[in-house]
Amino acid sequence: MTDVSRTDLVCVGTISGSYGVKGEVRFKSFTAQPEDIVLYNPLTDENGARQFIVGITRGVKNGFSGRIEGIQTKEQADDLRGTKLYARRDQLPSLPDDEFYHADLIDLEVLDTGGAVLGRVKQVMNHGAGDLLEIHGPGMSATVLIPFTREAVPTVDLTAGRIIVDPPEGSL
Amino acid sequence: MSRSVWKGPFVDAYVLKKAEAARESGRNEVIKIWSRRSTILPQFVGLTFGVYNGQKHIPVNVSEDMIGQKFGEYSPTRTYYGHAADKKAKRK
Repeated sequence: MTDVSRTDLVCVGTISGSYGVKGEVRFKSFTAQPEDIVLYNPLTDENGARQFIVGITRGVKNGFSGRIEGIQTKEQADDLRGTKLYARRDQLPSLPDDEFYHADLIDLEVLDTGGAVLGRVKQVMNHGAGDLLEIHGPGMSATVLIPFTREAVPTVDLTAGRIIVDPPEGSL
Repeated sequence: MSRSVWKGPFVDAYVLKKAEAARESGRNEVIKIWSRRSTILPQFVGLTFGVYNGQKHIPVNVSEDMIGQKFGEYSPTRTYYGHAADKKAKRK
C-alpha cells in the first residue's frame, strides 16, 4: 500500500468492538447514508498502512455488525476495537457545481472581500435552514456563523485553499 | 392541546416590527431576534434572522417550507459536530 498523507484520508467510521464469538465486528458509520460505508472499500487505518474490506451483516444499536476480510476470531476482532476507518479522498464521487464535501471546506482560509484574513472554516453545519460555515479566527473571541449562499460566500477556491466571504450586516 | 385557530399564529410584536423594517430598507442584514417561540409567517420568507440559542445568534434563512414552524426549531441549543465523512454542502 502506498503512503498517504492525513489530508488524503477522510474518516468514515470506527470499529467499536467485536460482535458475537465468530469474528464479526461492530462498527459505526459516519457517512451521510450509513450503509454507504461499504462503497468506499477498501478502507484503511489512519496511516493508510492497513487495509480493511468491510461487509455489513446486520444493523445493531448505534451502528452495524459485519465482517472484515481476514478477521476470523473474536480475539482478532477485539484487537481492532477503537480503530478508525478511513477512505481515500479520491474515492468520493465528484460533485456538481456549487456542491462541496464538508471535508474539503473544513480548514479553508477565509478572507473578506477586501482581502483581509478572517480565519479558517472550523465546521460546516445544517440545522434545517441551509448550510452554515462556522468560522474561527485569531482575532475572534467566539466563532462566527455565515450562511453558505452565493451572496454571502461568492468564491470558493479549493485549489488555492481559500474562500471569500461577504457576510450580511450584523453577522460578524 | 393545540392552539385555538381563532387566535391566529403567535408572533412576538418586536419580530414583526424588525422584519418589516428590514424588508423596507432592502438591505442584506441578519435580523437578530431572541424570540424562539415566534411562528414563521409568510412575510418572513427571504429574510435572514439571527435566532438566539442562549449563546449566539444562528443565521436562519427563511424559505417557504418553514412557514408555520417556530424559529427555535432551526437554532439548536446543544452542539454536536459529528464527522465530515462524505457529507455535502450545497451553496444556494
